[in-house]
Amino acid sequence: MIDRKLAVSVDDLTVAYNYKPVLWDIDLQIPEGVLMAIVGPNGAGKSTLIKAILGIIKPIAGSIAIYNKPYKKQRKLVAYVPQKGSVDWDFPTTALDVVMMGTYGSLGWIKRPGQKEKKASLEALEKVGMLSFKNRQISQLSGGQQQRVFLARALVQDASIYFMDEPFQGVDATTEIAIINILKELRKAGKTVIVVHHDLQTVPEYFDWVTFLNVKKIATGPVKDIFNDDNLTKTYGINYKVAVNK
Amino acid sequence: MPLKIYIINKQIMTNPQIEIQLIAVVVAIACAIPGVFLVLRKMALISDAISHSILPGIVIGFFITQDLNSPLLILLAAFTGVITVVLVEMIQKTGLVKEDTAIGLVFPALFSIGVILIAKNANDVHLDVDAVLLGELAFAPFDRLLISGMDMGPQSLWVMGVILLITLGLLFLFFKELKVSTFDTGLSSALGFSPLILHYGLMSVSSVTVVGAFDAVGAILVVALMIAPAATAYLLTSDLKKMLLLSVGFGVFSAIAGYWLAHLLDASISGSMTTVLGIVFLLVYLFAPSKGLLSVLYRQKQQRIEVSLITFLLHLNNHQEENERHVNHLNEHINWQKVRSKSVLELAQKNNMIGIENNIVSLTDKGREFTNLALEYIITNKDEKIEHMKEDFFLFRG
Repeated sequence: MIDRKLAVSVDDLTVAYNYKPVLWDIDLQIPEGVLMAIVGPNGAGKSTLIKAILGIIKPIAGSIAIYNKPYKKQRKLVAYVPQKGSVDWDFPTTALDVVMMGTYGSLGWIKRPGQKEKKASLEALEKVGMLSFKNRQISQLSGGQQQRVFLARALVQDASIYFMDEPFQGVDATTEIAIINILKELRKAGKTVIVVHHDLQTVPEYFDWVTFLNVKKIATGPVKDIFNDDNLTKTYGINYKVAVNK
Repeated sequence: MPLKIYIINKQIMTNPQIEIQLIAVVVAIACAIPGVFLVLRKMALISDAISHSILPGIVIGFFITQDLNSPLLILLAAFTGVITVVLVEMIQKTGLVKEDTAIGLVFPALFSIGVILIAKNANDVHLDVDAVLLGELAFAPFDRLLISGMDMGPQSLWVMGVILLITLGLLFLFFKELKVSTFDTGLSSALGFSPLILHYGLMSVSSVTVVGAFDAVGAILVVALMIAPAATAYLLTSDLKKMLLLSVGFGVFSAIAGYWLAHLLDASISGSMTTVLGIVFLLVYLFAPSKGLLSVLYRQKQQRIEVSLITFLLHLNNHQEENERHVNHLNEHINWQKVRSKSVLELAQKNNMIGIENNIVSLTDKGREFTNLALEYIITNKDEKIEHMKEDFFLFRG
């Protein structure tokens, strides 16, 4: 780990909504090439942490670096999958069009997506097994299919770091396996993947790195070293076994 | 009286009827475009707020410029519109009240300032509250744009024409940015397309459009022109570009149809335009192919029958004994009304899922496969295997 490059570095980050801190003095170093889960109870600030790293929420203190530079300069290295519930799926658009939105970042202002972007988007749809749904209106997709479209949109960004906010929420078992396999492939390709995750039982199976968060950072490191009763109890305030069996 | 004016001036467009319709069409298009994004952003109410709260801006602008169509007045008044949005957001951010309450607090306050300003200066200001609220399209051709004595046509046509061109230009340039920030604010922000800039850009365009349109159609009806075409188009399409085109189409249609309705009834033009918009919306709401009320009711009825069908097929699947599979027995056993069992039997036969021999019903291979897939879907909620069933059955669609 000592030799590993840092993909993301968060220093003294504090975020508050209406003067109430949701993240308190977070220091977090994420090495390149890990598949990391962020776990913690509801209201622990997991989504907020990701949003603050991506500049969607302005922190009241602290600094964030993506490969040693501010996020604004590194946008193209980063892909983001928001929570599925954060968008209106009745929006008049198709699966392919949503995936194409992933290419907008590299196009910049005004320039429009062309054949190259369309081809990349179709490939991304194929990777998540959704090619045959490319022209389907997004409200006509099931929850799992919508999540796959979101994943395809992140893949088309061809980034180095992927942030995903609860990608397994409300998806069926097949989709969950399909998604985790793609995430593992990304890690194999040397990408860094950071996932807000809810299901503690699957943490050791899916991830190699984990961060425990509950307003403050409780612990961060390799799953095999720190995913234990002690940290779970500190994070959730209840017995680990209860938390896992919930 | 109008005849006299038209004889005196040299005319480019001589027919006031055509001019009025042209103004109505341009206003309708200029309103429909930002309206689409307001509807999709669930901000329809904001247009209502803007249309009222620009009043003090218009009055103050009028004191300064003495010309209702001056670009400066339009900018001043539009600025009041943007201030409305800022104030609403400030109140909302305190977390003490919700957005609709904040809107309800802000615009009457600003509007009433405007009303008082007009009342206090009623003698100097050529402006009255009725005209501001309702507008009067019929008078629009009286206000001419004169360039070195030459009549270039109605001033409001030029004003709205320029606003429309700017709107179209911005839409053309920033379509992709508007789309992504409307659909997914988080992604838009992460990609570097500041949702804040786009939000205020849209608010500015909406404000300018409302100000430009208000003296033609009034502050209340301009809201209808923004929201109704977009809401109607939303029921008909699942493509943003088509939604924009349809909105524009509905706007243009109601502008022209409204004009002739007013002609027929000898009523207010803007009132008639809005009436037409309302009727068009109602028709689409009832008859739209997939989102319309009738098709929703039909779909629900079909879904009920389909649920019964699966229950019925499961029953057949579970019972080999003939007495359980007799047509008449099914009525009694599953406790359905005659009508329902008839429609279920028909649906099953239409799809070749059952065969009936001597009034004994049995599953075909297709019926058995369908039952197993449906059962598996209900238990596991995986939908890969039932994709082909979505075409024929409402029950398996999203």
